[in-house]
Amino acid sequence: MNQVVKWISVTASAAALISVVGCGTGAGNNATNANNATNTAGGGTSSAQVTLNETGSSLLYPLFNSQWISAYKSVDPNVTINAASTGSGKGISEAVAGTVQIGASDAYMSNALMSANPSMLNIPLAVSAQQVMYNIPGLGADKHLNLSGDVLAQIYMGEIKKWNDPKIAALNPGVQLPNQPITAIRRSDASGDTFLFTQYLSDSNSEWKSKYKYSTQISWPAIGNSLIGATGNAGVVTELANTKYSIGYVGISWLDKATAKGLGYAALKNHDGKFVLPTKENIQAAANAEADKVPSDERISLIDAPGANSYPIVNFEYAIVNSKQSGDMASALKKFLKWAIDPKGGNSAQYMDPVHFLPLPASVEPKSEAQINKIGG
Amino acid sequence: MRKVSSASKTADKVFRVATGLCASSPVLFLVAIGIVVFIESVPSIKFMGWHFLTGTQWNLGDMYGNLEVKNGVSAPAGATYGALPYIVGTLASSVIALLIAVPVAIFTAIILAYRVRGPVKTVLSILVELLAGIPSVVFGLWGVIVLAPWVAQFFGPLLTHLGVVIPFFRGPVGTGMGLLSSGLILALMIVPIITATTRDLLEQVPILYREGGIGLGMTNWEVVRKICLPYVKDGLIGAVALGWGRAMGETMAVLMVSGSAINYLPHSIFSPISTMAAVIADQLDSALTDATHLAVHALAELALVLMLLTLITNFLARWLVHRGGQRVRSGVRA
Repeated sequence: MNQVVKWISVTASAAALISVVGCGTGAGNNATNANNATNTAGGGTSSAQVTLNETGSSLLYPLFNSQWISAYKSVDPNVTINAASTGSGKGISEAVAGTVQIGASDAYMSNALMSANPSMLNIPLAVSAQQVMYNIPGLGADKHLNLSGDVLAQIYMGEIKKWNDPKIAALNPGVQLPNQPITAIRRSDASGDTFLFTQYLSDSNSEWKSKYKYSTQISWPAIGNSLIGATGNAGVVTELANTKYSIGYVGISWLDKATAKGLGYAALKNHDGKFVLPTKENIQAAANAEADKVPSDERISLIDAPGANSYPIVNFEYAIVNSKQSGDMASALKKFLKWAIDPKGGNSAQYMDPVHFLPLPASVEPKSEAQINKIGG
Repeated sequence: MRKVSSASKTADKVFRVATGLCASSPVLFLVAIGIVVFIESVPSIKFMGWHFLTGTQWNLGDMYGNLEVKNGVSAPAGATYGALPYIVGTLASSVIALLIAVPVAIFTAIILAYRVRGPVKTVLSILVELLAGIPSVVFGLWGVIVLAPWVAQFFGPLLTHLGVVIPFFRGPVGTGMGLLSSGLILALMIVPIITATTRDLLEQVPILYREGGIGLGMTNWEVVRKICLPYVKDGLIGAVALGWGRAMGETMAVLMVSGSAINYLPHSIFSPISTMAAVIADQLDSALTDATHLAVHALAELALVLMLLTLITNFLARWLVHRGGQRVRSGVRA
């Protein structure tokens, strides 16, 4: 009897395995066929077949996966790009290790890491932002709370415990705030979003700056049930939607998905003391305000930029690339990255708008191009 | 006498070498993994000493700041690694899982072994084994979407009534992400292993013993309680140890519903926790961006502690078997 059971389950799992493998090969064949088709249609470019692998930032992933990869097929049919959403920390570490050619990251590499790996480049591809989102039933979908980095830091340190705290009320005159405990949501994985958010808190609150600082993974305040970790932007959005009276930080490319689940997002206090929303104009204003300060290695924080309209949590989306690449790979990588930052190519509005990203400021693009030219050199 | 051809002799030699190699591979792999994990954790052991086991602060340090040197090991300023919250989280969640899973698994196994026949038994057995085959991440997803909200809204508030008697059950319930959800999801994951092993054990109880019991007028429960379970006690404890090991090492599902607590010891069954395996998975990517690599070494030490803990529980289970074994054996024979 037992034997029969074992056999049946083995057969069942084998069948499942075979069907999965079947799907895999099927898809593979299709892809190859499609590739051949475009090759013949394109009339044969001379460059060799190259596969570029990208991994990292879940914030940058929708741009790669839904926009750039399909668009680039018509630009260079010989290049296949694979993208994966694994988190900025992984983007940096895999690019350094050489497992992937492009490591996507919302965070630039630290000084210590750069001096250990001097051949690495941090190349901004686009401008991105992050919004602070909350689940407050009955607030109204169009209502945006005013929040400041100082207040957010106190919420995440457990010093502000309830939504109707006088410090939150003071920023939101006339708003009926619920007498409910706040559940703060954070990223548990190595995250560029954590890097950006904690940078904003460090810039706004001295206690945060001295105790917790900023990084892709920090030693969070121990406030028990009031601070919960979730994996990835997807995890944070799900947890916010599941938990009433919660607050969390979410990358801008997830804005539409999150608002569709009934989450609201805050107007944040900027460097000039104004409360601003992550609109296209406000993100652009912040990027432009910092554009002249961008150094030649382009490792710079755009957080808390000056200007009345500047949105405070803005960043470059980086391609972390090792400049030591050989032959075909170097030229394919250069060509793709140059296309990606081209205002008429990958940086054009048709690819940027669906994920709420913005093109690089005009003065930054040449700096990215200069870095791209170092590849293979 | 049979004349052995040279081909047969060669085949026999190949057979010997092949079986020898294969048979020694578990030992070799175990030793190799142990050595690598130990060597990787040496800098962290030097850096933290025993504080690694007793400290509650886990801090990768200021990775965007300066480096400092402590105990001969360079690290980002402010780095400190105290793994106690993760050790407690691992033990607490796996023990909760065992408390739920063991009774469920044993009763299921009794039904499968003795009470159902034919197609019903086949279908039930397949279902139990398929449950074991569900990928961890699927359990995790289900945990985030279904289990945690259910715990937060219904099960948790229900349990808080027990808080009057047992302080550890006191609220607030919070988001449902935490110790209780981790324990529940781990229980689900280890039930199939314990069930399948126990079922096979129970089927080995000689039919004569059971018939004898029934012949003496024992009820079903008495036969199971007084004859079958004592007969398989050794194996049963082995099965529980197997489930415990799995629960302690389980990563993805726990990571998704644990609430990923850091620097925090659980105050109640609803507190967010984190386990050693989950922390390794969660923090490795950030750790790899630590230029001094100390963060990776600390995670390796965490892996070492996890391996040792699994080993200790295994030996503990064996010792329990050994201690109780003699008496039970004679009891059955009598």
